[in-house]
Amino acid sequence: MAKHKISTISAIMLTLSIVVSYITSSFPRTFINETKSATLINIVYITILVLFIILIFCNLFKRFPGLDLLDISKFLGGNILKDIIGSFFIMYFTISSSIMLRNFCESLVVIYYPLTNYVFIILMFIFSISLVNRLDFSSTLNVSSIVFPLVLISALLLFCGNLDNFSFKRIYPILGDGFYNTFILGLKNIGAFGGICYLYFLPPMLKEPQKFKKIAVISVIATGLFIFLCVATLLFMFSFFITTDEVMPLFSAARYIEFGTFFQRFESVFLLIWIISFCCFLSITCKFSTNIFNKMFNLSDMKAMSNIFILLIFALSLLPQNYAIANFLETNIYRYLRIAVGFILGITILILANIKKKKVGEKD
Amino acid sequence: MKITSYIKKIFNYSPPFKYQFSLPNDFNKTNLDLPQENLVHSKENRNIFTSLDVNSDYIKSRYNILINSDIITREFILNARGKQYKALLLYIDGMIDSQILNDFVLEPLMMRNRNNMFEGDKNRIISEAVSNNITVRKVKKFDLADYIENCLIPQNNIKQSKSFEEIFSGVNSGNCALFVDTLDIAFDIDIKGFKQRSISKPENEIVIKGPHEAFVENLRTNTSLLRRFSNNENLIIESLEVGKLTKTKCAVCYMQDIANGDLVAEVKYRINNLDIDSLLSSGQLEQLISDNNSLGLPKSISTERPDNAVQHLLEGRIIVLVNGSPYALILPAIMIDFLTSPEDRNLKTIFSNFLRAIRIISAFFALLLPGLYVSITSFHIEILPTELLYSILAARESVPFPVIFEILIMEISFEIIREASLRVPSAIGSTIGIVGALVIGQAAVSAGIVSPILIIIVAITALSSFAIPDYSFSFHLRLFRFLFILLGYMCGFLGIGTGLFVYLSIICDMESFGVSYSLPYSHMENLKNTGIILPPIWKREYRSSYLATKKAKKQEDISMKWKFNK
Repeated sequence: MAKHKISTISAIMLTLSIVVSYITSSFPRTFINETKSATLINIVYITILVLFIILIFCNLFKRFPGLDLLDISKFLGGNILKDIIGSFFIMYFTISSSIMLRNFCESLVVIYYPLTNYVFIILMFIFSISLVNRLDFSSTLNVSSIVFPLVLISALLLFCGNLDNFSFKRIYPILGDGFYNTFILGLKNIGAFGGICYLYFLPPMLKEPQKFKKIAVISVIATGLFIFLCVATLLFMFSFFITTDEVMPLFSAARYIEFGTFFQRFESVFLLIWIISFCCFLSITCKFSTNIFNKMFNLSDMKAMSNIFILLIFALSLLPQNYAIANFLETNIYRYLRIAVGFILGITILILANIKKKKVGEKD
Repeated sequence: MKITSYIKKIFNYSPPFKYQFSLPNDFNKTNLDLPQENLVHSKENRNIFTSLDVNSDYIKSRYNILINSDIITREFILNARGKQYKALLLYIDGMIDSQILNDFVLEPLMMRNRNNMFEGDKNRIISEAVSNNITVRKVKKFDLADYIENCLIPQNNIKQSKSFEEIFSGVNSGNCALFVDTLDIAFDIDIKGFKQRSISKPENEIVIKGPHEAFVENLRTNTSLLRRFSNNENLIIESLEVGKLTKTKCAVCYMQDIANGDLVAEVKYRINNLDIDSLLSSGQLEQLISDNNSLGLPKSISTERPDNAVQHLLEGRIIVLVNGSPYALILPAIMIDFLTSPEDRNLKTIFSNFLRAIRIISAFFALLLPGLYVSITSFHIEILPTELLYSILAARESVPFPVIFEILIMEISFEIIREASLRVPSAIGSTIGIVGALVIGQAAVSAGIVSPILIIIVAITALSSFAIPDYSFSFHLRLFRFLFILLGYMCGFLGIGTGLFVYLSIICDMESFGVSYSLPYSHMENLKNTGIILPPIWKREYRSSYLATKKAKKQEDISMKWKFNK
């Protein structure tokens, strides 16, 4: 997939780049809508939970060093299972990127391009990723490594720049709508850690596969911190009743930043960084889809297929009739898809494969 | 092209072709683990042997004479007191004065004359006394070495030495060494003859605190400059020929004990496999051996300064010189190299880093400032403070054109002025600049064709592009600026953002001789001496790890031993 193997830090950046796209879209809004003032506690809670899951996940991977989920599926159920699992993940990556793309572009239309048809904006992204996907995968990873620190700076600026507007009492009542809503219904927010899905396919690409556990753990912790930072900014700034109506809530928060009288309203600079980061996300998902497809059918040339997946993402992003439907898909369908594919399917395969491996080992 | 072949080209599948060469990119692994062949000589200090053949073999091995094109050994028969001895001269072509060598070294030693025809190896009687019919003679034993030094070589500066290191040091600095069979000493004869200082001043890479010497068109003079600056016999200068018609001589120079062997082999492979009729400049060679020429970015540093070239040589890079070209190519190069000036090493670290930061900002402005201006004024005016917005609007009130037309007029006019001032004789070049910048700019504002703010933007952009040390890199920024202007006008920050993503991705995909072009900004790894921030001179302990050099360290952890020697 890549000329050079992926370094540990690049792998962490990769998973974080995925989270950035979730955070810059409507995900924080969903978070706050569902858990209200207990959002921060909920984030800490699900981060700890995901950390446990990821440790189990790493232990399950231990028996299959250097293999990805497709190889493990092949071991478990032969080529048929490998193809089924591969198809699931391709579907997941394609659908996720198309829904996110549509939502992001619709938000851009609302914010900056009210007279432009969203299709043209989608096409801008499609053109850029079709150009980039002709290049080696490492190029996208390198861009992510450059862009993510900028995204992080933008998030920190958002937090620091809005300190004057913060009302810390918004975390009260601490448990929001109650224990059940925060800790049981709030489990749905685990989908925010959707970047974990990409970890399933990382081991063969890693320069140091033995550091897989480290990558996974750091990714989860960094993702948790990043989400915490962004959601905290929103929670402290806006009443959670207002937040529900905002398109791209982080962008709205950026509007209030003021450094003196000269540096005001530079939210579009944040948008510029997020656009580049979103391009990284699209390119990464497209490259992963292509990689899985190539592995399923043993194709040697990855670039030949990449345009097919780009067209597929484009076509799927046009399917929702309007922003409301696209938003509904993102908040209600896509998040469950993330949980189903990212957590349940992956871990089930890993558990079954481990059982089989144990049995095979005992027979031998 | 026929329509059918065009359609076939679009729809037919052709397997991808990508030339693959990469240096080991396991940055965490210490480079000392790499094979270190030919490093055996580095620290030994041998004495000269009595056998000339053994000395000759040793010299050949130390100087790699089989591949080093400018190291000359001249074997001849030396006449001394009617006897003949085998002798050998060692010198570096281009660093000695051939006339002096012929007239005052070779001729007295080789030709039969009164001095060397003197009778045999008789001992010289210094004094004689007779007492009781016994004659006591005080004689001085015949010493061939002294005889050669005192009687045969009419040179003012000649030294005898028993150590190869001393002799080689003299040869590296432009002296000639004489080895004679049966003698366990050698002569270090001062016949330096390279051109000094009068060569010329660098025209395009001006530094304040550094040498003021530049390469010239003559290949041998250039190699002698490298020799003189490096002063080390591990410098290998291999000669290659390029061009079926011109057979242009090229020199591939590298430090044998530092440069990566694969890198050296790759450079030679590429140069040796050029099937062209002619090669007339290093600029042509650069394009011919680059991995790819996408975006027009330079893949090798082009320098006219020998000190800069040697600095890179000692870092583990490879220098390619082309006969007839006063520029040396330094391979491989990464992006930050084009924002680095040779002056940086001569200044205090704090100033160097400040200047480097300024250059990075300049590159950003040179590429993006006009595009950002267009997108802000067209789509994102909220970013401007209200007062500034009012003044921009007031300035643009009398301008009838859209902002894109306005900026394109000014940018293209500026490029015309720049091109014109380069092409006219230098005496009136500056006049054109003044006329262009002041008169046309002022007149355009007065005529209401462009707004004053735009003049400021174009001026800052132009000044920023002048701050880039490398001409090719600056050219690249100038060209791609237009792309970002169009993208900014079409879609504002969306266009700039997607354009930047593609631009950065292409840069991150590029390689220069197996080294990633975007290093060190993209590869977040344990790189040493990356070039992001220039450390203080006493902390520059490591060579750039991405060059995978044979020697990772270039100075000790404590280099200022006078201060911290415990």
